[in-house]
Amino acid sequence: MNFRRNLIWYIFLAPAVIMLLMFMALPLIQSLELAFFEWNGLRPREYVALENFEDLFDDRFFWGALRHTLIFAVFSTIGTVGIGLLLAMAISRRVRGAALYRFVFYLPVMLPMAVTAALWVRMYEQNFGMLNVMLRSIGLAHLEGAWIASRETALGSVIAVAVWQFSGFPMIILLAAIENIPQDLHEAASLDGISELQRSRYLTLPLIRPVLISISVLQFIFSLKVFDLVWVMTLGGPAESTSVLGTFLYKEAFRKQEYGYASAVAVVMFAVIFAVTYAYQRLMRVEAVEF
Amino acid sequence: MKRIPGALVTVLLVAWAIVQVYPILFMFITSVKSDKQILNAPFALPDPLLLDNYAIVWAGDRVAQPFSTFFINSFMITLGSLAILLFVAGLAGYSLARGRFPGNAATQQGFLLTLAVPVHVLIIPMYFFMGDLGLRNSHIGMMLVYATLGLPFTIILMRAYFLSFPHELEESAMLDGCSRFGAFIRVVVPVSRGAIASMAIINISWIWSELLFALVLLDQPQVRTLPLAVAGYRPVSMAAESVVGQQFAIMTLTALPLFVFYFFFQQQIRKGMTAGALR
Repeated sequence: MNFRRNLIWYIFLAPAVIMLLMFMALPLIQSLELAFFEWNGLRPREYVALENFEDLFDDRFFWGALRHTLIFAVFSTIGTVGIGLLLAMAISRRVRGAALYRFVFYLPVMLPMAVTAALWVRMYEQNFGMLNVMLRSIGLAHLEGAWIASRETALGSVIAVAVWQFSGFPMIILLAAIENIPQDLHEAASLDGISELQRSRYLTLPLIRPVLISISVLQFIFSLKVFDLVWVMTLGGPAESTSVLGTFLYKEAFRKQEYGYASAVAVVMFAVIFAVTYAYQRLMRVEAVEF
Repeated sequence: MKRIPGALVTVLLVAWAIVQVYPILFMFITSVKSDKQILNAPFALPDPLLLDNYAIVWAGDRVAQPFSTFFINSFMITLGSLAILLFVAGLAGYSLARGRFPGNAATQQGFLLTLAVPVHVLIIPMYFFMGDLGLRNSHIGMMLVYATLGLPFTIILMRAYFLSFPHELEESAMLDGCSRFGAFIRVVVPVSRGAIASMAIINISWIWSELLFALVLLDQPQVRTLPLAVAGYRPVSMAAESVVGQQFAIMTLTALPLFVFYFFFQQQIRKGMTAGALR
């Protein structure tokens, strides 16, 4: 009786649950399983216990990819959130043209990442690329570089593009947080005769701290999943110097047909990202989404 | 109060605005130049302004497939994914907001957990599994995948919206003889147009831009989407070939729909992103 009354709610829920089971839960379980096999996609797969993980542990390209992913995530987070915070603070001073700045600073976020990447491949090009041509024409030819074509500068150049594209995102969220600060707090602070820098340091920053932490964690998680930008700009090269977990996994699976080994990489990625996201959800109690 | 000089702030803001806008303008301008102009006068405005690049890529000359194919593929996949996503997420969100059935809280916890799953972990099994189902190189397959990826957070937002939706409307419809589903379709959905539109707005840009799943699941040229077309144009040196203008035309055509969309809905998009930030 109870079940029959509730049946309609289960039916409403069913399509979503079926889709998530089929296209998310099932592949997830298969991925965890495949990590314990060796398989090239054609011959029958062979159970190898923990061998894939042992190989991973000895694979310097895996460690390189992990290191690059962390470097990418840390620096692109610092860059986007740092610049976003400065921009938000500047715009919150009610500068003239605030609406235009908001529009412009969010514009790159709308670009498909593949387009951003392809565009910056052109900007970074050594002989005719915009960046080097510009440096030459303002007399800074000694700063010219090969950018994404050199092992030393490639990862940094890719991170710079991520910062260029996504700093508008934390800006919008931090700006909303700053504008939520009650006006009388500002007035009280200015009556106390403190400088603007002091006000930012002792009033604004502490008040927006929860949002600042939250957006940093989100940006960090987002950056750990980087694929498009690296794939289109460098394919992980030159000499694997920009290889990240996403591109490493893709290459092992779809270039070398090492599906078991690539699944072990996927499991590591899953463990890292799931742990960070889950900890974040607990910490922030995301259940209570306001909309 | 001692203030930081306004002029200094303005200079910094304008400088960053130039850094942000110039590459995008550069993309537009370069797409209407000939390759000779691009190499000889990279900064100059187009002279004459050429639409040849667009004509060539649209009809398909150097690329295996005409750009129009990619455009239609992307358009269909985005539209189809959104339709499935909004319908399924709407029903589920409504059920979770209204129904007091055993398992409601557990289901919500489950959806929340799926938010934490990175898509990379799904990609290898999905490649084989979709092949077995005959959904590799299929638009329907892509629509189902994208709709699923968007489900968790769209359901959570939909539920939050329906919690604040007045009971009375549906109840009076049901007194008039509508079924639950009838009341949902005829009464709840039309009144919720705004909320549904904002869900579409949050999801549109990532679906249009998605690369990884498209790369893995669409290996035949005639079914490919725009991000794949952009990624496929990856010549190494600028001097060697003469397709730079065409590449920029493809990039511009891929970005343009999202820019137009952003231009008209900027407020909703930025608000939606703040809400969807938990994704």
